[in-house]
Parts: sequence; structure tokens; C-alpha cells
Amino acid sequence: MTRILAHTRIISAILVVFLLAGCASTEQRSPHPKDPWEGFNRSMYNVNRGLDKAIMKPLAQGYKAVTPDFLEEGISNALANLRFPVTIVNLLLQGKLEDTGIALGRFVLNSTFGIGGLVDVATREGIPNYSEDFGQTFAVWGWENSNYLMIPLLGPSTLRDGIGIVPELWTDGVSIIVNQTDHYWLLGLNFVERRAAFLSREGALDDADDEYAFIRDAYLQRRDFLIKDGETELPDYDDFLLDDEEFDDSEFYNDGIQRPL
Amino acid sequence: MKSLLSSLGLVLLLGFSIGLQPALAVDLKAEPQNLVQQVSDEIFTELDARRDYYEDDRDALEGLVRSKFIPMIDSIYASRLILGREGRKLEKPQIKDFADALSELLVRRYAEGILEFRSRDQLSVLPLVGNNTDKATRVRTKVVLTNGQEAPVDYVFRKTPVGWRVFDVVIEGISYVTTYRNQFGEEIRRDGFDSVLNRIRSGDVDTDFSKNES
Repeated sequence: MTRILAHTRIISAILVVFLLAGCASTEQRSPHPKDPWEGFNRSMYNVNRGLDKAIMKPLAQGYKAVTPDFLEEGISNALANLRFPVTIVNLLLQGKLEDTGIALGRFVLNSTFGIGGLVDVATREGIPNYSEDFGQTFAVWGWENSNYLMIPLLGPSTLRDGIGIVPELWTDGVSIIVNQTDHYWLLGLNFVERRAAFLSREGALDDADDEYAFIRDAYLQRRDFLIKDGETELPDYDDFLLDDEEFDDSEFYNDGIQRPL
Repeated sequence: MKSLLSSLGLVLLLGFSIGLQPALAVDLKAEPQNLVQQVSDEIFTELDARRDYYEDDRDALEGLVRSKFIPMIDSIYASRLILGREGRKLEKPQIKDFADALSELLVRRYAEGILEFRSRDQLSVLPLVGNNTDKATRVRTKVVLTNGQEAPVDYVFRKTPVGWRVFDVVIEGISYVTTYRNQFGEEIRRDGFDSVLNRIRSGDVDTDFSKNES
């Protein structure tokens, strides 16, 4: 426990440095309702992204390049399994008792027959998977809207989700093991693996005019999706069209302007 | 024995005729769920057969996506949603240009992501739930990625004069239309439509760099 406290002190020292860095910001765009701290967040994003490009991304690429697919899958499974207690605890906290039972079964099955989680036996057996965390639980309890917050080193979050990371120190298997055994490489592997999982999708960042806003958008949409367990409404497409008068698009189909088949 | 042989012949014949179907086999009148299944099957059959080739040749992979996936997309409608208010100031040929650029963008993104899908057996089309209409029908799918993790991918269809078409793809709750709309809307207001169109078109250059990255 004292070890965790010592870490917290180091982290808060780092935070102060980052907060100071965050004060010098200028970017002007129309404000986002969930991002009142945009100035700070933007500068923090630049710092994070700089570190990512210099350190995390190359590490993740190297990891992906040298690790055979089957091993990568095994490691990814094992880390997900270590993290799974976070999901179980939060299913319980959200009062989803039946799901808690199923999740517990998944965890036991994968930890035993799945050789410490290396093989995801449960998914092969058709047992559903879940993804819950404390941030989602706070949302279910009523803290639905929270300001966007770019956390130093950790990346996009909200105030709510950021606070939700704290209790993970006592529930995430990776963090528990590291705290008790000093196997810091596991923490490193955990970050690299998570970063590697994102490699194939970050090309979309090239499409972004404003990378920061793009990530904010994606993060908030994805969190909403996780909080509602995938039962999110579709966007209001009619509203997107802003049609005062009817737009006649028949000619796109009739004249073959619509892509030929 | 005779019936065994004839059924074997029937199977062979059937297999043969399926094999002979041209690329146009995608029946765009098919119901949305079937369409997703059919297009995915076709892409994965080809991908599984020559995975190494496609992993090394991004242009070939993009070609595959362009021929199989893009016909299912209503890029005009997607563009109008993305352009929103800005789109109403544009001429139809401009919207068409934007739609073509958007299609190419989707080709690149899809090609980039699809190698992470492990194999066709790892894609499942889920039952329709919720309120589905001619204007918006959401086909939910789940794919297992090469790292073993699952990703939900939803395709949002509408009924067009030429059949059901996809106008939005929602990956893990992140809608392409919503996200691009927020990006491009702001940019068009600032830099103008032509500038944005050119930037999207020139996106080809970027992917050449990122080719070696993943």
C-alpha cells in the first residue's frame, strides 16, 4: 500500500509539471460543450502525442513485428484476463448480477483451462464477454456527463473516467501483481500491447484536419457506447441533412452518377 | 451409390457455378443482413486464399476492397450527411466529387483494418434489434481481431432507388459520418470546400508512408 502511495506522489509531481505546461495554450475553434478545459487538454495532447510518436508507437510497432500472431494473441488474452476482475467488480457495482455470474465463470474458466488466460476458452465456448470499468459505473450511478480530460501520459479521458482509474490499482490484476512483485516489465508490456492494438486504426488520424478534435470525438462516442453496453442510439441523421427543402437525389441514381456497380 | 454420385455431381456443379459468378454477384436488392454476410464472405474468401499476397501489396488489397465493399456504399448520401449545411451550398457535381473522394478514403481505412480481422469464421452477423426502418437499418456484426479481441462493427443501411446501401459504419460505437462531419464541417467553414476536397484526395500520399508502419 505504501508503494502505491509513493507512486501517487511521483505521479502528482509529474502532474504539476504538466499542468504548468498546459497553461500556455492558444488554439481557437468553436468550443465543444464537453471540453471546457480545451486549452489545457490541447497542450497535454501535444505532449502525449509527442511522447507517443517518439517512444510508445515505435515500441508497439517493434512488438508487433517481432511477436508471432499466436503469441500476440496469447499475451493479449492473458492481459485481458488479468484485467478482467475490474469488469467483474463493476458489473456487480452496477447491479448486473446475472452478468456478474457469467463473467466470473468466464474468468475462472480462462484462468484454469485457459492456462492463466493465455487461451480464451470462454469465447470459444460462446460465453459472452464484457467490458466494464469504474468510469462506466459512475456513469450508470448518475454521473452521466463529465468534462473531457487529457490525462498526462495516459491519454484521452474524462474527469469521471480519470477518477475511475484510481480504484483499478486494487482491482486490475496487472497493477496488483506489479505492486506486490515489482515486475514492472508487466506494466510496460501492458501499455505496449494496448498501444499495438490501436496501430491498425490510427490511419484514420491522417484524415483528420484536427487530430485533437478527432480523438476527442472518437473517445466520447466510444465511452458512450461502452456505458450503454452497445445500446446507443444511432446519430440523428435527419438532423445532419438540415433539409429545409427536399434535396432531389434521384438523379444520382438514375443518371448513374452514383458509383456504377 | 448412384444417388451419392449424382449429389456429388450436384455439389460440384453448384460449386462451379458459384465460382463462375462475376464480381457483380452482390445482389443489392438483398436484405441488409444478407448483404453484409455476402460481401464479407466474398472478401474473406479471397483474402484467406492469398493472405500473404495481400499483406505485401496494399494496392491489390485496396483494389479488392474497392470492387467488393464500395458498391455496397451510398457515398452520395453519406457525403450529404457529412457535409450538412455546407453541402447545401454546393452543386451536384461537387457533391459527387466529394463522394468519390470519400469512397477512396473508406477504401484505405477498410483495407488497413481488414488484415486485422482473423478470418471469415470470426465474423458474425447478429440479429436485428431495435427500431429499423427504410431510412436507417442497423446491421450489427462482431469480428474477432488477430489479437483475439472482439470488435463490434455496425453497418447502417437505407433503402435507395437501387436497393439497400450502407451510408454509415459504426466501429465500437464510433460513427464515421459523425466523426467526419465534425472534422470536415469546421474545416470547410475555415478553408473552403475545394481546399478540403483536395486534402482528402491527396490522402493517398499519407497512406504510402503508413504502409510500412503497421
